[in-house]
Amino acid sequence: MSDTPPILELRQITKRFGGLTALEDVNFDLHVGETHALVGENGAGKSTLMRILSGVYNEYDGDYILDGQHIRLASPRDALSRGIGMIHQELNVMPELSVAENIFLGRQPLTAMGSVDWRTMNRVAEEELRKLGFNINVRLPLEQYPLGIQQVTEVLRVILSGARILIMDEPTSALSPAEVERLIQLVNDLRSRHKRSIIYISHFLDEVMRVADRVTVLRDGRNVATVNATETSKTQLISLILGREMDAVLPSASESTAKRTLLSIKDLSGGAFENVNLDLDAGEIVGLYGLFGAGHFDLARALFGMFRFDSGTITIDGYSFPTNFTARDAIKKGLAYVSESRRKSLFMDEANYRNITLPHLGHIGGFWPSYAKEVAAARPVMEMVNVQPCKPDNPVGTLSGGNQQKVAIARWITYPPKVFVVSEPTRGMDVGAKNEVLSILVNFRNQGYGVLVVSSEPETVLAVSDRIVVMSRGKIVSELANTGDLQKEALMRLI
Amino acid sequence: MTQTDAVTSHLHEEKRSTVLKRSLRTLAPLWTLLALMLFFSLASESFLRPINLNNILVQISTLAILGAGMTFVLLTGQIDLSIASMVTLVGIINAHMFVNMGIPEPWPSLAAVGVATLLGLLSGLATTRFRIPSFMSTLAMSLIASGLATWISQGRTFFKISEVAAFLGSGRIGGPDGLRVLTVVAALCLLVSFLVLRYTRFGRYIYMTGANPSGARLAGVNTNLIFTAALAISGFCGGLAGLVNMGRLGSAQPQVIDSFMIDTIGAVVLGGTSLNGGRGGIIQTVIGLLIYGTLRNGLDNIQQLDPFMKEFITGVVLMGALIINLLFSGRSVRDRT
Ligand SMILES: Nc1ncnc2c1ncn2[C@@H]1O[C@H](COP(=O)(O)OP(=O)(O)OP(=O)(O)O)[C@@H](O)[C@H]1O
Ligand SMILES: [Mg+2]
Repeated sequence: MSDTPPILELRQITKRFGGLTALEDVNFDLHVGETHALVGENGAGKSTLMRILSGVYNEYDGDYILDGQHIRLASPRDALSRGIGMIHQELNVMPELSVAENIFLGRQPLTAMGSVDWRTMNRVAEEELRKLGFNINVRLPLEQYPLGIQQVTEVLRVILSGARILIMDEPTSALSPAEVERLIQLVNDLRSRHKRSIIYISHFLDEVMRVADRVTVLRDGRNVATVNATETSKTQLISLILGREMDAVLPSASESTAKRTLLSIKDLSGGAFENVNLDLDAGEIVGLYGLFGAGHFDLARALFGMFRFDSGTITIDGYSFPTNFTARDAIKKGLAYVSESRRKSLFMDEANYRNITLPHLGHIGGFWPSYAKEVAAARPVMEMVNVQPCKPDNPVGTLSGGNQQKVAIARWITYPPKVFVVSEPTRGMDVGAKNEVLSILVNFRNQGYGVLVVSSEPETVLAVSDRIVVMSRGKIVSELANTGDLQKEALMRLI
Repeated sequence: MTQTDAVTSHLHEEKRSTVLKRSLRTLAPLWTLLALMLFFSLASESFLRPINLNNILVQISTLAILGAGMTFVLLTGQIDLSIASMVTLVGIINAHMFVNMGIPEPWPSLAAVGVATLLGLLSGLATTRFRIPSFMSTLAMSLIASGLATWISQGRTFFKISEVAAFLGSGRIGGPDGLRVLTVVAALCLLVSFLVLRYTRFGRYIYMTGANPSGARLAGVNTNLIFTAALAISGFCGGLAGLVNMGRLGSAQPQVIDSFMIDTIGAVVLGGTSLNGGRGGIIQTVIGLLIYGTLRNGLDNIQQLDPFMKEFITGVVLMGALIINLLFSGRSVRDRT
C-alpha cells in the first residue's frame, strides 16, 4: 500500500483558535481503499482536523495535498465536489424533512418529466436502511425517529453521494451493538469492494480494531503515533491515547444500609412502552438496557414529563405525579434528566455558566441573577467533572463533544436531585472521560441518590449498575443483578 | 445582549480576523445608522437641526413602545402580527367608554390597555395550548381586534378624546417647549424592557427559550408561560401605543394603520434581533428604531426625491436587513463531535 502515493495528505497542520492551539504540526495521510482510523481523547483535535479536511475551516497553517496537488478548499461544498464527504455527528440533518429526503438531500432522483421521483427515492432509502437492519417508514419526518436513525441517515446520505473519501466522525455513538455490527460490515464492504477511502473516528477501540488498516493517535493536538491495526492491541492504543496506563477503577460502591424506594414506576403504558414496573432505591444504580426501538429512552422522557403516558403511576419518594406533569414539576420533586441528545439540551451559543445555572437559576440568583454568583456556582462543578478548557465564559459550542457531555451532566450537580435519570451518559466520550463520568454517577449513588442509567451500550450499563433491567419492544423482558461475572454477550442475548 | 457578550467572550478564542468579522456583523446596524445620518446631513440642510432631530424622536416614539414589546416576542422566536389592530382597538375602546358611555378616566384607559393585554394573552394561550404557530394565532387575533374596533365604533371616527390620551400623546413636560410626554413614555418602556431582559431571571428565560425551546424545557423552564408572557407584554405595549397614538392624532379611528406592524418588526429586525429567537435585545431595537426614523425622516427632508419612491426605498433597506439577519443566523457555533 505504501508504495503508491497517498490520495490525500496533510502536512504540518497547525490550527489555532485565538490563544488555544487545537492542532500543532499534525501529519495525516490516506491511501486509496484504506480505512484510516483517528483516535484520541476528547479535545485531542480529531474533529478539528477533519473539519480542515472537509473544507469547514480554511484558515490554518500547513499543506493540504489531494491527488498529488497542493490545494486549499474553499468550503464543504468545494470538498464534496472533489469527492470528500464528511459525516458530522448530528449536524446536517433536516428534522422536518422525511427520512428519504434527508438521505437524498440536494440530489433527489428525477422522473422523465423532471419532477422528483418519490417512488424511487423512497424505495432506495427503504432498501438501504433495511440492509442496515432498520425497517422504518422513510416517508415520516426524521425528527420522529431516535438519534440512532438520524445518525444512520446522515451516514447513508454521505455514502450514497458517491464521495470517494468518506470522513466518519463518531458514526456509531448513538447506535446499539447489532446496528454497529452492520455498519462495520458496510464500511468494510465500501473499502474492499468499492475502493473507497475512509477516515474513521471513534472512541470504541474494538470497533476501530475491526475496521481500520491503520490507526493514528492524536493527543493534545499532536501526532503521537500511526500504527498498523494488525500490529497493535487495544491496550497499546489506550496507553498511546492517554500517554499512560489506564487506571480504570471506579470509586468503590459503598453499601447502602436502609432501603428506601426513591422512584417507583407502576404499570406504566404509553406510546412506546407497555406495563412497565420498575423500582429504584436510594443508593442504587439501575441500568436500563435496550436496543433501538426498545422504548427505554422514551420511558426516561416520560419520567421527566416529556413523553405522554396513558396509564400507570410514577412515584418519587412517596409523591405520585398526576398524568399531566411537566419537566418543571419533575425537577421540583427531585428528578434530574440528561437527554441523549446534547443538541436538544444544551444552548450551543451560550456561555458554559449559563448552561449550567439555568435549571437552578432561582436558587442561585433569585430574581436578579448576577454574573458573579452564577460563575461562582458554575466553576466548581466544571472543575469537578474536569471540563477542558475550564472557561465558564466560553460558549458551550466551542467545547469538544465529550466536554459538552460533561457540561450537560455537571449542570445538575449544583443542586443534586434525589433521582438522576441519564440517557447515554458516555456517548461520544473517550476512555478516560467515560470513566470520569461514570465515577460521577457512582459518587451520586454513594451519596444516597438513585441513578437510572438508560443506555444501548452494554459496557456502560455493565460498568456501573447494581441491577440491570432489559427492555425490548416496549416491555421489560428481564431483570438481573450485576454481580460482576455478567458478560456483554450474555446481556445482548437477553433481548 | 447575548450577541455582544458572545463576541467579547470569543475575543481570546478566535482569530483576530474572525473577531473582526463578528463585530462587523454585530455592529453593522450601528454603522448603517451612522452612514445614514452622515448621508442625510450632507444631502439636506434641515436634517441636523435640533427641531428635526426632535421630530425624529417624536416620529419613532409610538414605534418604540411597540418595538419594546415586539423585542420580547421575537427573542422567544415567535412573532406578533396583531399590534396594529391593537393600536386601533385601544383607541376605539377608550373613546367609546369616554364619549358614548360617559365613564371618567382613568377607567377607559385602564380598560383599553387591559383588553389589549388580555388579547395578547389569548394569542399566547392559543399558541401554547393548541400549538397554533404564533404568526397564525396573532393574525387571527388581529382580525378579532380590528373587527371589534369596527363593531364598537360602528365605523365612525371619534373626534373627542380623553384628557389622559391627550396628555400622553401631545402633552409636554415643563412648558410649551418641554419634553414630549410620548417620548418620555417610549423611553421608559425601552428602559424597563432593557432592565427586565438583561438583569432578571425572567429575561434570561426569554433568551434561553428562544435560543433552544426544548433545552429550556429540559432545564425546567415553563416555556409555555414564557411564550404567553411575551405575547401578553406585546399586547400591553400595543395598548399603551394605542393611547399615545390617539392622543397624538387627537382622534380615534376605526381603520387599522397597517404600517405600524411592518414598521415595528422592520425596526426591531433592522437592529439585529434575530427572527429565530435567542439573539438581540433592546439596545439593538433602539438602534433599529433610530435607523428607521432617520431613513423615513431623511427621505422627507430631501426635496428633490419623488415622494412616491420613499416607501420603495424603505422596503429595499428592510429587505437588505432581513437578508443580513437570516444570513448570519445560520453562522453560529454548532454542536461538535
Ligand atoms: N470554534 C472553536 N473555538 C474555540 N475552541 C475550539 C473551537 N473548536 C474546537 N476548539 C477546541 O479545540 C480542541 C479540539 O477540539 P475537537 O473538537 O477537535 O476535539 P475532538 O478530538 O474531536 O474531541 P471529541 O472526542 O470530544 O469529539 C478542544 O480543546 C476544543 O475546545
Ligand atoms: Mg470530535
